Amino acid sequence: VSSQEAEPPARRDPGSYRDPSGFVYRRDGVIYRQIQSSFAPDWDHFISSGLYDSLVRSGDLIAHEEVDAALASEPPAYRVIRPDPLELITYPYEWAFSQLKDAALLTLRVQGAAMEAGMTLRDASAYNVQFRAGRPVLIDSLSFERSVPGRPWLPYRQFCEHFLAPLALMARVDIRLGGMQRQHLEGIPLELAARLLPRRTRFSLSLGPHIHLHARAQRTSTSEERAAQAGEQRREGGMSPSRLATLIESLRSTVEGLHWEPKGTVWADYAENTSYDDVATAAKSSAVSAALRAAGGQRAWDLGANTGRYSRLAAAEGYRVVAMDIDPAAVERAYQAVRAEGGTAITPLLADLTDPSPALGWGGAERRGLLERIETDVILALALVHHLAIGANVPLPMIAALFARLAPHAVVEFVPKEDAMVQRLLASREDVFDDYTSAGFESAFARHFETVSVTPIEGSVRTLYHFRRSAGSAGG
Amino acid sequence: MEIVFAYIDPGSGSLLIQGLIAAMVAVPIFFRHQIARAVSAIRGKSSTEPVAAPASDETTTTPPQA
Repeated sequence: VSSQEAEPPARRDPGSYRDPSGFVYRRDGVIYRQIQSSFAPDWDHFISSGLYDSLVRSGDLIAHEEVDAALASEPPAYRVIRPDPLELITYPYEWAFSQLKDAALLTLRVQGAAMEAGMTLRDASAYNVQFRAGRPVLIDSLSFERSVPGRPWLPYRQFCEHFLAPLALMARVDIRLGGMQRQHLEGIPLELAARLLPRRTRFSLSLGPHIHLHARAQRTSTSEERAAQAGEQRREGGMSPSRLATLIESLRSTVEGLHWEPKGTVWADYAENTSYDDVATAAKSSAVSAALRAAGGQRAWDLGANTGRYSRLAAAEGYRVVAMDIDPAAVERAYQAVRAEGGTAITPLLADLTDPSPALGWGGAERRGLLERIETDVILALALVHHLAIGANVPLPMIAALFARLAPHAVVEFVPKEDAMVQRLLASREDVFDDYTSAGFESAFARHFETVSVTPIEGSVRTLYHFRRSAGSAGG
Repeated sequence: MEIVFAYIDPGSGSLLIQGLIAAMVAVPIFFRHQIARAVSAIRGKSSTEPVAAPASDETTTTPPQA
């Protein structure tokens, strides 16, 4: 906001440093990828074999445009490409179970297509996958190299650590173990997964070999002699193409065989469990639509979106929406709905507003924090504030201040103490929330916002507010 | 051929074991293939319709065994 520079310098993406054959950078707000000349033969084969075209056509790979190599960040470059921009970068620890599963299947499908074109994936990182209109897409165009017959699949371990281990833990132990991905950015160590999985999975013909035996092999392969043997294997290998195809097919059927049904969590049946009747629901919907139209934005973040009912409403009003919720079951359902509809401009996101994903990795900058990634015109906070204020003890002025930081417009539902849902929250605890009143709510928000409209929701005791951030507020 | 671009560490254990794992998992894949073939054969025989059962198409799409 301060000084305006004429030529903003190229800035390398802080998460793009591992691979010497190229890297991602940003110039003038546009994302580019520089490809080094050392990678030229593989890049040329990737393009000339038709693999790039067929993967882009099937929607499995992000498309790019080749631009002038003079735009390179650190010349000389072999090529510079400008990939199609993405609305939002999300990380595996912010995905529903089926999102991680679909990302895993995408990776294997792409490997299959690569093998047919005489190529193979060089990595199988979950961070190379993003979601676009409810579909996973591979974003790392440099992931392909020409295959060497007989060589083992080098990303086998990475695939198991990034995809198979977390999926197995979520499906077979507890869905919340997906959160372990936030701590293990390089993937969940296989011996840790093996220890946590139920004993009987050792005897399965899917998780048995890929997790348990695999983990054991890593433990016993630390000697110099074994390392030398492995080096030889990597160069020569005894992995026939058909054996490699069998390995990939087995990983695919193992992933396909992992299921998680969204039930049994606190919120799974919340939408069906509210005090809203049909009249109130219709009244709330029309009030929300009216506020979204009045806000006149293009992007909305639905905080506490649950299964995404109002996110769909926002999408119907022409918004591109992020449907964020704390509950894995709700996000799972939201994702399944988006996937079933196809092409919907809704991105489901698993996150906790009281503990948003922090910045992580090298330099604390490799994976960006969630709040830094929120770029939106409107935030929707429907049936949320009472959970923050009473359920999580966050004072109303702090809630208003955070909302003001996030967006110029806020559409917020206030649920008073008389409401049955708030009564339920207060049932087992002391009511220490003297300021939790309409007046307290309005004065907290008045510090940062002007009130555009106030709509009592017919058939309920609730009220919908549309706020516009005041010029002098913190976020502006 | 020199491997210049394998920038991730594939892990020696993972390299050494995957041939064996591929051989192991070929067994269930082989049996699934055989069962699918048997099922389609039985269906084909018991069925009064002369058309091949759709399951037979699936068996042709299973990848080759090691």
